[in-house]
Amino acid sequence: MNPPGSLEGLEPNVDEHLSTQILEPSVHSDNPQERIQARRLRIAARLEARRREALGEYLDGKKESEEDQSKSYKQKEESRLKLAKLLLCGTELVTNIQVAIDIRETHRRVEEDDIKRQRIEKLENEVKTSQDKFDEITSKWEEGKQKRIPQELWEMLNTQQLHCAGLLEDKNKLISELQQELKTKDDQYVKDLKKQSDDICLLLERMEEQVKNVMKTFREELYHIEKAFEVERQELLASNRKKWERALQAHNAKELEYLSNRMKKVEDYEKQLNKQRIWDCEEYNMIKIKLEQDVQILEQQLQQRKAVYLLNQEKLEYNLQVLKKRDEESMVIKSQQKRKINRLHDTLNNLRSKYAKQIKQFQEENQSLTLEYKRLVMQFKELQKAMSHFALIDDEKFREIWLMNEEEAKDLIARAFDVDRIIHTHHLGLPWTAPDFWFLKNVGPISRQPQKSATQIVEEMLLRTEEEEAEEAASESESYLDLPKQISEETTKRILTLLCDESGFLIESKLLSLLLPLEQSECYLLRLDAIFSALGIESEDDLYKLVNFFLQYRAHHLSSSLQSKPCSQASVEASGVEGTSMESELEPAKRTEMEGEKEESLVEGEKEEEEETPPSPWVIHPNDVLKILEAFVMGLKKPRESRALLRVQKSVRSNSKDSEYWQALTMVIPPSRLNLWDALYTALEKYHLVLTQRAKLLLENSSLEQQNTELQALLQQYLTSKINSELQVPPTRVLRIPTI
Amino acid sequence: MQDTVTTSALLDPSHSSVSTQDKSSTGGHTSSTGPQPSKPSSITPVPAKSRNPNSGANFRRMRRIIAEDPEWSLAIVPLLTELCIQHIIKNFHRNPILKQLLPEHQQKVLNHLSPDLPLAVTANLIDDENYWLRCCMQRWPVCHVAEHGGSWKRMFFERHLENLLKHFIPGTTDPAVILDLLPLCRNYVRRVHVDQFLPPVRLPAQPQTGDQSDSGSEGEMEEPAVDHYQLGDLVAGLSHLEELDLVYGVKDCGMNFEWNLFLFTYRDCHSLAATIKACHTLKIFKLTQSKVDDEKARIIIRSLLDHPVLEELDLSHNLIGDRGARGAAKLLNHSRLRVLNLANNQVRGPGAQSLAHALAHNTNLVSLNLRLNCIEDEGGQALAHALQTNKCLTTLHLGGNELSEPTATLLSQVLAINTTLTSINLSCNHIGLDGGKQLLEGMSDNKTLLEFDLRLSDVAQESEYLIGQALYANREAARQRALNPSHFMSTITASGPENSVG
Repeated sequence: MNPPGSLEGLEPNVDEHLSTQILEPSVHSDNPQERIQARRLRIAARLEARRREALGEYLDGKKESEEDQSKSYKQKEESRLKLAKLLLCGTELVTNIQVAIDIRETHRRVEEDDIKRQRIEKLENEVKTSQDKFDEITSKWEEGKQKRIPQELWEMLNTQQLHCAGLLEDKNKLISELQQELKTKDDQYVKDLKKQSDDICLLLERMEEQVKNVMKTFREELYHIEKAFEVERQELLASNRKKWERALQAHNAKELEYLSNRMKKVEDYEKQLNKQRIWDCEEYNMIKIKLEQDVQILEQQLQQRKAVYLLNQEKLEYNLQVLKKRDEESMVIKSQQKRKINRLHDTLNNLRSKYAKQIKQFQEENQSLTLEYKRLVMQFKELQKAMSHFALIDDEKFREIWLMNEEEAKDLIARAFDVDRIIHTHHLGLPWTAPDFWFLKNVGPISRQPQKSATQIVEEMLLRTEEEEAEEAASESESYLDLPKQISEETTKRILTLLCDESGFLIESKLLSLLLPLEQSECYLLRLDAIFSALGIESEDDLYKLVNFFLQYRAHHLSSSLQSKPCSQASVEASGVEGTSMESELEPAKRTEMEGEKEESLVEGEKEEEEETPPSPWVIHPNDVLKILEAFVMGLKKPRESRALLRVQKSVRSNSKDSEYWQALTMVIPPSRLNLWDALYTALEKYHLVLTQRAKLLLENSSLEQQNTELQALLQQYLTSKINSELQVPPTRVLRIPTI
Repeated sequence: MQDTVTTSALLDPSHSSVSTQDKSSTGGHTSSTGPQPSKPSSITPVPAKSRNPNSGANFRRMRRIIAEDPEWSLAIVPLLTELCIQHIIKNFHRNPILKQLLPEHQQKVLNHLSPDLPLAVTANLIDDENYWLRCCMQRWPVCHVAEHGGSWKRMFFERHLENLLKHFIPGTTDPAVILDLLPLCRNYVRRVHVDQFLPPVRLPAQPQTGDQSDSGSEGEMEEPAVDHYQLGDLVAGLSHLEELDLVYGVKDCGMNFEWNLFLFTYRDCHSLAATIKACHTLKIFKLTQSKVDDEKARIIIRSLLDHPVLEELDLSHNLIGDRGARGAAKLLNHSRLRVLNLANNQVRGPGAQSLAHALAHNTNLVSLNLRLNCIEDEGGQALAHALQTNKCLTTLHLGGNELSEPTATLLSQVLAINTTLTSINLSCNHIGLDGGKQLLEGMSDNKTLLEFDLRLSDVAQESEYLIGQALYANREAARQRALNPSHFMSTITASGPENSVG
């Protein structure tokens, strides 16, 4: 790109050429690339501006500034360029000789080649011609051999000789020519040698000159550069000095200002000090007067004090004497005390030794006791084991005895019933129905039925409701024994479903995800389980409490809204959760206490009551469920504690019911019937008496008849007997035997 | 010593001068034996100073000082170490003791050793450059230590060996002269530069060297055996030899010139070939001005094939023709040759073609010199073609080769493509005006060429000037690149438009 560019640079106006010249050193500078590029751009822009506006001054100013910026640098660059050029020129100058010799050598070689070729051609030609001549001569020899005439032969020989001479002459000529050439070559060789030495001399000269030149220019350039640096340094120094002076002046001015300020301040302070001094003086005088007065007062006081001091001194002297005496006394006492202390020390040591002994003793004792204790514990454990074993056996025995007794009693009762039946059917002619009591069905010792857990009940209930849905006819009461009858199953279920739907937040999210694939009922069950565990509902009772609470809450809500509820509700409300809980606690006991009919009636009544209240759990708004639950949980806390005690007792079997049970067994036959039986008994007794009398009489009658017959037989005998005949008067005549 | 001076000065007023003498003398003894390495130079001035003012100031005082004089004179007695060192220096050739001495004593000994000591003593014992500097300076007036790797010792041995070889006359001189030197110099000689080998002396009556022998009588003898010294044993012994620069010829023969003096025989050639083949440390081999013709060149080149380290081969100023050039071409691709110099030979077109063929795919050769041959356009074009594919060559010298315009045309194409060439010499050819213009065109696309010699090659002055301008620009760019290599790309982009402007 350079050559055409430079050509273009040459062609246009001079200004541009100059500008390019200015530009060149900056472009080929040591400076970082960015600067060069920036400068180049700037120059290009400047060129543009110049072309358009033809303004020279602007550029000049710029140029000067640039010069200022890097005078030394520019000098350096210039020197470098100059030196490079010098070196290049110098080496060219020196190598020019070599090149010249080279070309001379090549020329010589070409010439030599030419000459050589010519010479060879010439030699070949010569060889050819000489060969021809030689051939001619040799052929002539053949001819000569045939010549017989001596003259001819001589002639021919002459001619041959001439020919040979010619040939030789030719050869000699050639040789001489070649020798001539050789000589000239030798001359030329000498000349060449001379020339070579001349050239070498020239080369050396030039080299030396070059070296000198280069050294000179280097020195010059070094000088220039140093000068440039010097100038720059001078300038820099001057500018720095100026700056320094300016700064110094400013500094001086400021210093002056500060000084004046300071003077002013000093004056101010002096004034203030004076003022202060005067004021202080006055104050000092005042204080002095005051203090003098004080001194007088104090002197007076001092006098007084002195008087007091004298008095006190005397007192103290007296006291001192007293104390001295006391001291003596105390010395005596001290010695006594010391003696005492010694004695006490002895005792203390004795006691210590005793104490140690006792400790040892007690430790031993303790050890033995602990051993004994361990043994006892072991024994106790064994005993407990035995006791539990015995308890089991006792239980078993008890059960067996119970069963035995029960069987016996049952037999007896059966017999009694049989008797009753017989009495009723046979004697009274009344129809007899077998009485149905709970205890009749009881087998084995009475034990409290285990309380079902809430979930079990719910499960049961749900299952049942399902079943019921399938077969409506199934008797509710039969399977629903355990539910307190005041709450219908339907309502319970509804409440529970409501609870289940509303309190989903109590269930863990994991569980919910697990529940998804299950059936609805199972789903409900598991949900309720989770909710109950969260609410703390554990047992059946809790569940009923909950349901009750719901109902009551609803009722209360209604009553509060309607204000027209009977006071019975209010009382129930008042009794609160605790009351209901107590009620539910008492429920089974009450049931056992009361005879079937009574209880049934009671329950019936309750049930009726319950049914009277509108059993519609959906009246409970789903939004209220949470409130109810909160209230329930708050309420549930208290009964929990009390029930803990009851739990403990449950483990011990209650004997109270046994007596009741047995009592009931005895009371299988009601007293009215017993009365009836008694009446019957007396009547039958009487009847029996009559009958026995009759039997007696019958027996008497039969015996009499027998006697009669016997007597008749005897009579007959007698009558028939000879004696009779012999007898003067036969009995038969006497007695008239009544014929039957 | 100073201590003794002060003590004596203190004792002076109370005691007699005799007692001080005794005391000082004993003190002087102890001091001379005790602190041996103390500087003797510092001892002398102190008493001298102390004496001068006293002598000048007061006579009485001077007397007292005179009494102290013997004490001072003790300093003149050389130290025992000094004596020992002197003795060591004196008897160094018989009993060289150097390594056992303390460093400063070693230095002292080395500074005073004579440079004429036998090499057998000094060669493997002394490493001190100063000693060898003295040796060199004593023997040769001009010393270019830079040519010998900056080591005076190496220089001494190299030049010493060179001297021996230069004046070795086969058959007359005892070969043991050189072989005895071998164990001494084997670790120091890296370069053997011999610019003359003397032929054996024909006349037993003449004990002189070849240059002084009578040429007329020798020329008629025509003995076949004119072999030179066989380098084999020597080179095999030099374990660090890197450069071998040989000229089979006689210097300064003057008017006694005779062709026989410059005869490089076949036996020489074979032995030399075997020698360089056996030398695996050789990096530079030069055999110049020795009338090496094709056959001999081939023998030598054959021995150099697959040489492990050879980097430079210089066979300039010989008689090598095309066959030798072909051999060299073969060598190019069978070695690590970086520099090949065949200047001033008789290589013509075919030889250059074979070289070009080898060059086309060579990746080692950096410099090729074919100055003063006659490759003509035939070879020049072949070389230009080769350069289109070559990516390694940086220097090419084709001066004086009868090249003309066709080569210039091809070279201009090469210039546009090639980015490795930095120097081309086409001086003394017949490029012609048109060729010059074409080269100029080629140069306009080149950014790497730094030197382009077109002197005396019939190129128009204008184009030569413009080529010079382009070269100047390239040089500046290269300088920029060397200064800050990280901005390599940006310099090119920046210099492009700038050049168009300038």
